[in-house]
Amino acid sequence: MNDSMNRRDCLKVLGISGLATGLGSTQSQAQSVGESSGFQSSVIASRKVQSDRVNATFTDGKVIQPSRELAILDTTDVLVVGGGPAGVVAAIAARRAGAKVTLVERYGHFGGLWTGGLVLLVLGHIVKGGRQVCQGIGEEIMRRLDKLDGAIIDRKPGVNPTVDAEAVKYVMVEMIEEAGVQVFLHCWGVDAIVDGDAVQGVVFESKSGRQAIVAKVVVDATGDGDVFASAGAEFEHRSHNVGLVYRIGNLDRIDKTPDSPAPKRIGSHTPVPGVNWVNLRGPEVDGLDVATLTRMEMNHRKYIWSHIQKTRRTPGYERVYLMETAPQLGVRITRVLRGLKTVTLDDLKAGTTFPDVVGVGGSENGGHGPWQIPYGALVPAKIDNVLAAGRCISAEIRMADLVRLIPNCFVTGHAAGVAGAVAAQDGCRPREVDVAKVQTILRQQEACLA
Amino acid sequence: MRHARPEIAPDRKRGRLRLLVRSACLLAAVAALWPLAPGVNSSLWVPALSPFVALAGAIATRELQAVAWLGMVVGVVVLVKRRFFCRWVCPMGFCLDGAGSLGHRLGRRSVHVPLLGQWIVLLTLGGACLGYPLLLWLDPLAIFTGVFSLGERHLGCAAWLGATGFAAVLAVNIAWPNVWCGRICPLGAFQDLLHSGSRSLRFVPGRKSEGESRLSRRAVLGVAAGAGSAGIVGLVHSDKRRPLRPPNAREESQFVGLCTRCGNCLRSCPTGVIERDLGGHGWASLLTPVLSFREGYCREDCVRCTEVCPSGAIVCLPTRNKASVRIGLPRVDMNVCLLAEDRECSACARWCPYDAIRYVFSEEQYALQPQIDPDKCMGCGACEAACPTKPHKAIVVLPA
Repeated sequence: MNDSMNRRDCLKVLGISGLATGLGSTQSQAQSVGESSGFQSSVIASRKVQSDRVNATFTDGKVIQPSRELAILDTTDVLVVGGGPAGVVAAIAARRAGAKVTLVERYGHFGGLWTGGLVLLVLGHIVKGGRQVCQGIGEEIMRRLDKLDGAIIDRKPGVNPTVDAEAVKYVMVEMIEEAGVQVFLHCWGVDAIVDGDAVQGVVFESKSGRQAIVAKVVVDATGDGDVFASAGAEFEHRSHNVGLVYRIGNLDRIDKTPDSPAPKRIGSHTPVPGVNWVNLRGPEVDGLDVATLTRMEMNHRKYIWSHIQKTRRTPGYERVYLMETAPQLGVRITRVLRGLKTVTLDDLKAGTTFPDVVGVGGSENGGHGPWQIPYGALVPAKIDNVLAAGRCISAEIRMADLVRLIPNCFVTGHAAGVAGAVAAQDGCRPREVDVAKVQTILRQQEACLA
Repeated sequence: MRHARPEIAPDRKRGRLRLLVRSACLLAAVAALWPLAPGVNSSLWVPALSPFVALAGAIATRELQAVAWLGMVVGVVVLVKRRFFCRWVCPMGFCLDGAGSLGHRLGRRSVHVPLLGQWIVLLTLGGACLGYPLLLWLDPLAIFTGVFSLGERHLGCAAWLGATGFAAVLAVNIAWPNVWCGRICPLGAFQDLLHSGSRSLRFVPGRKSEGESRLSRRAVLGVAAGAGSAGIVGLVHSDKRRPLRPPNAREESQFVGLCTRCGNCLRSCPTGVIERDLGGHGWASLLTPVLSFREGYCREDCVRCTEVCPSGAIVCLPTRNKASVRIGLPRVDMNVCLLAEDRECSACARWCPYDAIRYVFSEEQYALQPQIDPDKCMGCGACEAACPTKPHKAIVVLPA
């Protein structure tokens, strides 16, 4: 016992000294690059005056961006743009189907509006009768949340569960890493790389500057259809409610004895005891207009603050406090693809089945029967090598509120990921992909197709 | 009293033929009314055979509906052949004959009852003159049709109540054999009246028999009494508790009078939104069809209930006009609506076939509120059926 302890201690010492050596070597390397010294920070590079700069210029009242060569950050089979529920599932699915996958996300975490938007109540995994139609990788995420402590509540058949955003971010990191997906966070896709009608990759803006990722197939899981729109695909630009979710705390410290009525908008419970999440739908506006988005952020925060103050003036609710507003504005629908096929309400009502079905959608409270999602709804009518996933797939306006639900984003993401992998491996355009093969792989990955 | 036992056949051969014809008619009626019968709108044929309903309906509505021709044809036949319909066709009468023989076998005897049937007819026709045919629901074919309520999908209290009329008449005829057909049945009495009326026209006015002058006195008295009661009903009747009626139903006070309670509309409805009124809207409305949108809605492409109404209480409507007939208007209760709590719900707008619901943001409430466009909305109830709130729906269609 003593011996082993000694050995472990010995190893520890060795490890620390090794680390110290490594640190020392970086430091010396850095010092060789720059002039500055200091233990807390080190110089990576120092700026020299560049003669070949290609800045935008302001001439004759116009700002002109000259053409320039961009660094290629990565070359891959399937590039997934957007790390929300659709993008994460698409990346994992494509990787599991055997493709080389790169995932880029504009924020520093996965989950999109689910986590960053604090949309904690997961609506839409069931259909009339309570059957769960969201299976596959989306369901795997939920099962992993099940296993964690305090990650999910109300996980019962026929009930809409509520999750903890941090647990979701953690589970997604775990699954993305296990799958072996190459990830770049803090990357904002700004432009599609296009040759004729075929997309060949995407240009990103990040703190590393403007860089490109070249890919055989791009999955547009941006929610706003940023990639297919910049590639020239046909789409519909819609307005919808733009809100802001927030969480309030100390609800376990409410004094219910006073006789005054309970305040409105107290939200619903979360896995964190005493903490509720409160939805806010906001006005119907253009979620792509930056001035509008700015106004929404500011108006909503003013309203939320004043509303909480009102709640705190209710006897018994004095200790309730505003814990946080969501980092991400609740944009619901903006651009919607015009695909080879379109998801319609009439098809939902009629229970239409499609030979190219790649998933089955659910509804908020199981109010509808199952509705099939055809592969054609993910494929742009004209542009090639890009597939839509998530809320921006081809769907008519009356289906928007169903298509955008988190589980339905899992389902379309799953389908787009597998289809992208098959197209990349078979060397064909997504519109020519062997749908039967896609369906077989989806079934192998436990997706529900009927 | 010679009308009391019209069923006795002159000889056995004729009797057998009559038995055959009546069995065939009963079978045909059952086939037409059976809920699974493939014939389109065949359920209309049975109750529409009644000339009593046809005439009272025509007088009350001041128009001759397309459905009335069947009853009119029967009416013309009985002008020539007294009680021809009772003797050869009436499926109700055939059943009641069986009940009568059972009563006889049980040792029951017929009882002397005044000729109630004639009074029923006269009162009803008198009421019809003021638009309210008082006792139209006593028509035997409507009562017979009501039995088939038992074939309804949701075999509830209402379905049994629909069949109670038939059971009651059957019980009466067992207790006092043949008293219904001979003394009470308004359709039988109507045939008698038609026949004697036609006879009196054929003869010289000066040669009126005592019986006929009694009849005309009775007629004047009965019609006047019917009109009087209908007038009182019209005065007393309030539209306040008016229920939601099937599409293209007549004005409420007329509707409850015209409706024969045959239940055809209930059975024809593919979404099952038509129910029987169980007394929630006053006695006058008892057992009439009312709409309930808890489970389904009145489809924008369906006019079936308007096609099977024998009395024209629900006016026949071409499918192309369905989308312009208002049933009611929805009202939203923001104390129940999920949007008041900012929940993600858009069920009512999504299901609305007329695209009449918008969600409007209120700066003051800082929340959305469903807004109904009364010009587009037809009150079909799709929103109410789709509304997920329990136990009270946040959006409910009310009479417009």
